[in-house]
Amino acid sequence: MNPAHSIEAERLSRRFGSFLAVDDVSFHVEKGEIFGYLGANGAGKSTTIRMLIGLLTPSSGRASVAGHDVASDPEGVKAAIGYMSQKFSLYLDLPVEENLRFFGGAYGLWGKDLQRRADEVLELTGLAEHRKAITGALPGGIRQRLALGSAVLHRPSIVFLDEPTAGVDPEARRSFWRLIRDLSRGGTTVFVTTHYLDEAEYCRRIGLMVDGRLVALDTPAELKRTWVPDRVLLVRGRNLTAGAAALRARPGVRAAEPFGAGLHLRVDPAAWDGAAVRTVLEASGGEGVSVEVAEPTLEDVFLAVVGRGAEAQAAQEVAP
Amino acid sequence: MTLAGSRAGRFLARVGAIAWKEILHIRRDPRTLLLALAMPVVMLLLFGYGVSFDVDRIRLAVSDQDRTEASRRLAQAFTENHEFDPVGGDDADDADTIFRRHRAQAILVIPRGYEKDLARGGPARAQLLLDAADAVTAGQVLNKADAIALSESRRMASAPGISAAPSLQVKVSSRYNPEARSAVFIVPGLAAYLMAISAVLLTALTVAGEWERGSMEQLFASPVSRLEIVLGKLFPYLVVGLIQLLLVLGVGTNVFDVPILGSPLLVILAGVLFLAGMLGQGLLISVLAKNQLVATQAGSLSSLLPSLLLSGMLVPIDNMPAVLRLISRIVPARYMVDALRQILLKGNGFAQVWPDLLAMLVFAVAIVALATARFKRRIA
Repeated sequence: MNPAHSIEAERLSRRFGSFLAVDDVSFHVEKGEIFGYLGANGAGKSTTIRMLIGLLTPSSGRASVAGHDVASDPEGVKAAIGYMSQKFSLYLDLPVEENLRFFGGAYGLWGKDLQRRADEVLELTGLAEHRKAITGALPGGIRQRLALGSAVLHRPSIVFLDEPTAGVDPEARRSFWRLIRDLSRGGTTVFVTTHYLDEAEYCRRIGLMVDGRLVALDTPAELKRTWVPDRVLLVRGRNLTAGAAALRARPGVRAAEPFGAGLHLRVDPAAWDGAAVRTVLEASGGEGVSVEVAEPTLEDVFLAVVGRGAEAQAAQEVAP
Repeated sequence: MTLAGSRAGRFLARVGAIAWKEILHIRRDPRTLLLALAMPVVMLLLFGYGVSFDVDRIRLAVSDQDRTEASRRLAQAFTENHEFDPVGGDDADDADTIFRRHRAQAILVIPRGYEKDLARGGPARAQLLLDAADAVTAGQVLNKADAIALSESRRMASAPGISAAPSLQVKVSSRYNPEARSAVFIVPGLAAYLMAISAVLLTALTVAGEWERGSMEQLFASPVSRLEIVLGKLFPYLVVGLIQLLLVLGVGTNVFDVPILGSPLLVILAGVLFLAGMLGQGLLISVLAKNQLVATQAGSLSSLLPSLLLSGMLVPIDNMPAVLRLISRIVPARYMVDALRQILLKGNGFAQVWPDLLAMLVFAVAIVALATARFKRRIA
């Protein structure tokens, strides 16, 4: 294992009966990096995490986490990592402080050490004022911070966060991600799955899963360059319908879809710019036309990746 | 080196953390705890008073056709200890009416010439008519009447000038419960029964709850081992079970005068072994069921029925059909009831009770091992 790597997965697969949940996945995560793992529900994100944290044995392939092989030394893995599961992380009937003490105890912390770490984590997560509050009575965002705090109480070198911000309001999500970045700056490796593509921008690198396969892996900027080579133009104006049809017929225009009151265009940047689009639209009766060049988002990347994944699968099914 | 730094220290920290969390859950849910502690007392009072097998204050109609001092003396012998309560109406010819209207459960008929027969040296005859619709009561009434008749004839035999031979067969009273009080008989059985139900149910619920909430996965993702989870979960409920045992015994001795002839420590030891088995049974159920509803059903059925019917608590094991006798051998409550009766009522020590203790130990080890093994398979 490369000493600069926190996680290494090599041709990792997991089969449930005839269903291949994770299919031949290889990647590595560097120390201290925030690694985002993206994919639709059922794409195999949670299954991958469950293999990496020693809960599920891989059907084939190997992975090592913090220097421990997940199949032969799951206990070594468990002691070295923190995990915040998608479904549950806290006992809602217990006070905040007792949840921390419990998870600290579960990792073998005891007495003064435990008390000191619990205080530090309360401070870190900004929960000191809520320490006596019953967990279930707190809003979701605060609970997620507490869950993260419980997962890092024992100073793990890697934390796995499975959909940590699901169902949390945007402000709480922002403060949660500040915490994640703090952890990463402190040297902790963060492996995080998420649905929210805006959050994925915070990750240093992103892996994209489609139907159990890891189909793309790179930094957000590189992913955008590779997967969204088209220029995206946002057009506003009136009477654009005829113009859209005219644009679609021209070479170098890959898509022209209605978007709100305007149009969403994807064009070849070599052939088209804002002025050229405007000329075509105005010639077809468009009025008050304004064109804005949009930076590609991870959502565009995601749609492109999923689209190609689906095409690949369709091709596979057709092939004899 | 700190305690936390050692292997044993981490083990204790983890078991302690789980046990402490369980105690906090119990504290946050006082209703369950109250139920677990109030139920034994209420049940014991119900069984002790309400479901008593003792027959007391039997309504007795006396038909005295002799109307002499001796006949009045016999009637008084029946009623003076309040075992029989005299009711009015002494028309023996109308026995059917008396029984049908439930005016009396027994009628004592003393025929004309009773005193004369006694004076002649007997045998003097009196007749007791019984409403035997309730066979259990009738049997007990018969025993009591026998006892009274015997003591009465002994009294007369010792009186100068009169000699009367005992005219009725009298049974030997039971040795360990001389007054045949059902509380004495029922308390050991009830202790086992109540401990079985609440131990199985409480553990089944708490472990199934962890599955249901999804927290079990979180625990499995931590370095906590199966054994640590099991021990941490069982310990608080072991304490609850022992408190139940002490409560039942406390009420039993103070309210129903159940003796504790043997060693209280031996009682505790039997209690711990029995509870370990019952907690293990609850654990196994929750590992298999994984949801609280099914765990409740399976938990109550598997603890209530065997400990009520197959433990010898109500029905003596010797009176059971051979098949049930065989099944009762794997019911730990059977050994607990026997151990408790031996220790409490006979004052037996370890030398006599060890087979029961061993049987409960074997059951506990086997079922906890089985539960832990099943536990493991779930996460492979």
